Amino acid sequence: MNRVFGLVGALALALLPVLSAQPATCGEIKIGLMCPLTGKWASEGQDMKNIVTLLVDETNAKGGINGDTVRLVVEDDAGDPRTAALAAQKLASAGVAAVIGTYGSAVTEATQNIVDEAGLVQIGTGSTSVRLTEKGLERFFRTSPRDDAQGKSAAAAIEKGGYKAVALLHDNSSYAKGLAEESRAALEKAGVRVIFFDALTPGERDYTAILTKLKAADPDLVFFTGYYPETGMLLRQKKEMSWNVPMMGGDAANHQDLVKIAGPEAAAGYFFISPPLPQDMDTKEAKDFLAAYKAKYDSVPVSVWAVLAGDAYKAIEGALAAGKADPEAMAAWLKELKDMPGLSGSLGFDAKGDRVGEFYRTYVVNNEGAFELQPR
Amino acid sequence: MEQFFQQLLNGLAVGGIYALVALGYTMVYGVLKLINFAHGDLFTIGAYLGLTLLASWNLAGVLPPAVAVLAVFLMVGLLVALIGVVLERAAYRPLRGANRLSAVVSALGASIFFENAIMLIYGARVYVYPDFLRPDFTVNLFGVSVPGVRLLILGASVALMLALSAFIQRTRMGAAIRATAIDPGAARLMGINVDRVIALVFLIGPGLGGMAGLMVGIYYGQIDFTMGWSYGLKAFTAAILGGIGNIPGAMLGGLLLGVTEALAAGYVAMAWKDAVAFLVLILILIIRPTGILGERTADKL
Repeated sequence: MNRVFGLVGALALALLPVLSAQPATCGEIKIGLMCPLTGKWASEGQDMKNIVTLLVDETNAKGGINGDTVRLVVEDDAGDPRTAALAAQKLASAGVAAVIGTYGSAVTEATQNIVDEAGLVQIGTGSTSVRLTEKGLERFFRTSPRDDAQGKSAAAAIEKGGYKAVALLHDNSSYAKGLAEESRAALEKAGVRVIFFDALTPGERDYTAILTKLKAADPDLVFFTGYYPETGMLLRQKKEMSWNVPMMGGDAANHQDLVKIAGPEAAAGYFFISPPLPQDMDTKEAKDFLAAYKAKYDSVPVSVWAVLAGDAYKAIEGALAAGKADPEAMAAWLKELKDMPGLSGSLGFDAKGDRVGEFYRTYVVNNEGAFELQPR
Repeated sequence: MEQFFQQLLNGLAVGGIYALVALGYTMVYGVLKLINFAHGDLFTIGAYLGLTLLASWNLAGVLPPAVAVLAVFLMVGLLVALIGVVLERAAYRPLRGANRLSAVVSALGASIFFENAIMLIYGARVYVYPDFLRPDFTVNLFGVSVPGVRLLILGASVALMLALSAFIQRTRMGAAIRATAIDPGAARLMGINVDRVIALVFLIGPGLGGMAGLMVGIYYGQIDFTMGWSYGLKAFTAAILGGIGNIPGAMLGGLLLGVTEALAAGYVAMAWKDAVAFLVLILILIIRPTGILGERTADKL
């Protein structure tokens, strides 16, 4: 399959000179969006496109930014670093004002230098690995919180739950492994024992072998830091083994399909920490956004990462509205940004480009299979 | 000790599925000396067709679950078998006289075609089977609790393998398949319609692979368009391990691979499970290059 994407990418590259030769339309601002429209994260990517398209339409309906219409240029990165590098190159040469995206730390990492060398601002949306902002790129930002912030929140939730012996499980992805390691550090500092630390292979169907091993270690909580398909399988097979240990997860578990995969019975009681979805928030921005989304797509966003893409657009729109079209000026403006009302809460960045603020909340799956946001 | 038995049973259940997929590889290889890389994707097609049939006719709502599952098994087996025959006609038969490498390349092409066709038709998201189809009972063995559906899957795999073995060993068509496997030219001279035999092989192998896909769908509940690749690779390994071309060998290889993986995951490390499984494969191939049950064939003149 990668071959096919590679081929499409090569064709796209070959077409580049043709595309970039077009003169820039007057009174139009292009904004680039990279997202996984195909591949294993396609559902997140489609939602990213839906959300940003909706916001762009809203901007244009209000008369654009300072009189200029906004045009969204969307590139599929397939959730694959190689395809993403090609997507970033396409966006860089399409004359966009800034780049939004993408989902997945390793995928984003493959695009960072390309966008930076093109001299553009990039706002990552689902890239939580600590090192992405630690390498000191001047114009890289992200609306997603970092693994270490999440690790601290996870450790706090585990401590609050009174768990003493925790099994940590990840899937070797840079996101899940990072989160597991940050959580282990935070837990050990808090005096909670980590009695198990191992990885599973994502994309498999049978996790009974690792569950049997976990059961023998006898933890009082299993914390799996990976994505929802594997989480669903673990919950389902754990129930089949009649093992009742509580299980928790990180924000990659925040997807409604989790309950479909596990079955509502096996999912009941599972909890995870995540930035809240707009439907769980009572701010005006979240409510307005949700009403508009429902009116246009007749559904609600299922992935919080897609919502963070909307926040990235909000930040760029804010910078452009303040007249900061030049990438240097835009970056400087974003670094000063504080308390802008966003879809997922207040929006602001620190000097490294990381999002500031505390967003993590605990969700619990109830007996009907719905995600319930817990009070702070 | 309890953990050991639990892992053993975990491994046998996974191995049963590997074995079932491996049967298709082994049959095709035995007769055509062709490694059918598209076999894993026929497995995926089985899983998707099963869900489509269940959903589009609402079979699970109309019939009792057990009857619905049996009906879907038969239909999926048949439909995937037909796709297998078409595949052979379109991608392999035109290359039959050509270099063996050409057919392998054609198989890889077919695999990529199927995978992308499934993605374009169904989309990239994960699909979920209705979970009331699975029999929900648990069996206690040696103080270890085993979901009954695991035993059913293992039982069904063994039953299909025995039926296939009996068919190959006891019937006239089976004898024709064996004869073609040994020497297609001589078989043709003896009045065997080799094209028909090959079509039959492409009915049975893909049919079994499709049923295995359906089994995985019903049991694990979750299917996606890339699932064929890893199962195909494991099944291919199982076939080599047992001695490719040998039907009991495929079964033995599948079970052995499943158990090795489960024990490696339990006693070494989860992430090392595939590495250990392939190490065992390499060791066995060093000791017995033809696989466990494979026979060394000498060319007699």
